[in-house]
Amino acid sequence: MMNSMNNLKEQLKAHYKIAAFEEPTKMQLAFNVEPDKTLDVLAYLKSIGYGQLSLLTCIDWIEIEEFQLVYILFNWDNGIHLLVRTSIDRNNPKFRTIEHIYPGVKYYERDVHEFFGVEFEGNEDSYKHLFLELWEADCPLKKDFDPLEFSTNRYGNRKYETNFPRKVGGE
Amino acid sequence: MEVNKLKEVKLFLGPQHPGMHGNYSVHMYVDGDIIKKARPMPGMLHRGFEKLMERKLWMSNMAIIPRICVIEPDINEMVYAMGVEALAGVEVPEKATWIRMMILEMARVATHLFALGGIGGPTGLYTSMYWAVAERDLILDLFEKLTGARVYHIFIVPGGVRKDLPEGFKTQLGTYLESLEKKLPEYQELLLKHPIIHTRSKDNILLPAEVVHELGVTGIGMRSATGKAYDLRKVKPYAFYDQVEFEVPTATYSDALTRIHLKFQEIQQSIRILKQIIEKMPDEGPVKAPIGTGNALKLRVPAGMVYTAVESTRGEYGYFIVSNGKEKPYRIAVRGASYPQGLLGIERYLPGHRIDDAPLWMDTMGVCSPEIDR
Repeated sequence: MMNSMNNLKEQLKAHYKIAAFEEPTKMQLAFNVEPDKTLDVLAYLKSIGYGQLSLLTCIDWIEIEEFQLVYILFNWDNGIHLLVRTSIDRNNPKFRTIEHIYPGVKYYERDVHEFFGVEFEGNEDSYKHLFLELWEADCPLKKDFDPLEFSTNRYGNRKYETNFPRKVGGE
Repeated sequence: MEVNKLKEVKLFLGPQHPGMHGNYSVHMYVDGDIIKKARPMPGMLHRGFEKLMERKLWMSNMAIIPRICVIEPDINEMVYAMGVEALAGVEVPEKATWIRMMILEMARVATHLFALGGIGGPTGLYTSMYWAVAERDLILDLFEKLTGARVYHIFIVPGGVRKDLPEGFKTQLGTYLESLEKKLPEYQELLLKHPIIHTRSKDNILLPAEVVHELGVTGIGMRSATGKAYDLRKVKPYAFYDQVEFEVPTATYSDALTRIHLKFQEIQQSIRILKQIIEKMPDEGPVKAPIGTGNALKLRVPAGMVYTAVESTRGEYGYFIVSNGKEKPYRIAVRGASYPQGLLGIERYLPGHRIDDAPLWMDTMGVCSPEIDR
């Protein structure tokens, strides 16, 4: 198992000049890829056995104004999870779809679009609402979205009447 | 012309429908009783967990995470604890790991029983539902003895488990397992050999291996189509799954009946695992390792990111946890196991089936709405 991990590192280094790897836990490898090379790398990884896209998600690094897209891949034959990360501009969040590589990504991209506002060119449905029907405010998982402020603005400071029954045996 | 206009009818399946599992909705465009187009409509159960978790402390998150998947809450606690431990570099004591495995396997049996009983709804074989739900209740009784709660246990915490086993718990579990094993042949007669189930599920709702790879389906769906033991407990053993003996049931032809069969066989394997756990679990020893120093509410997890996954009853279930070293998580993303089949699967592969097979489709494919909506 350790061998396949080292082999993979060498292959990625030879083909795509990726040198910095992290191992967050055993049987897991994380690395950064340039945005314009990401699709190449993902297509290559799929061809060598990483056939499952477990998750596509996004992290909002608001201080450096970046969105980090994380593609989590899994190889069922050697049990290695890969975290393929790429960074895009937070103020102009656009990326290309990988639907032609992993068809199952379609709804993950809609998910990321809905919660972070990242546009995936090529995914025709990605602009449609998925979970948040009739949602008009900003994307809720961005770090500058404050849910408390949102609900106060929208619904006001509601006051609820409290009329609890008296305690048994109390006054 | 007028007749053609009326030919296609839009029909809503759920969220208020006896055949629907959970608060989920599918808009179906039907022609006669054949579904022509289907659109999954999630969001009825969206509670904003991922945002909520960013705004709560590492420890107070324990109270909300089991709610992400309602029928099988323990996997949430396990992946969360595994993630925090990986980031903080904490070793879990031996006995705690055995207790964790025991909880996970008990939950697996309970969830499979619930799913098998659920087949009673869409097929009209209500006996199976009553039987299976009553049987599951006995496991919930055991959970109540162990954790104090029936559904949301919050027992697996980062560092180990909350408490040691209550006195005599192993014996009670052993007695229950024996009674369940004796009843299994009756379930076999009732469910797997029943003509109603055969008529409705044999050669129906197919899931070929190509579709599995296209959608990214995991769990029983994947194993029933590919014939390979693609189970995270075998491929990438967590806890002590490499120290117990069990088989992963597989098949190469995946219709609804095959998947029902596999669920049943997994219950048998879980019983086998549970028996070994009772045998191998040490009597003494700590059940919780200190994680951080001082007040648990002020816990800070070292910066980093990690993805942890376990095998749930529906497939790979994982959390992607990002920490920036503060008191609250920076980002937690949930990989619900039924995401592929519950969204893209419904859109692409529910059409072509009959209306009355739609609930059966949802049941045997393993669609759990709370983990899709989060």
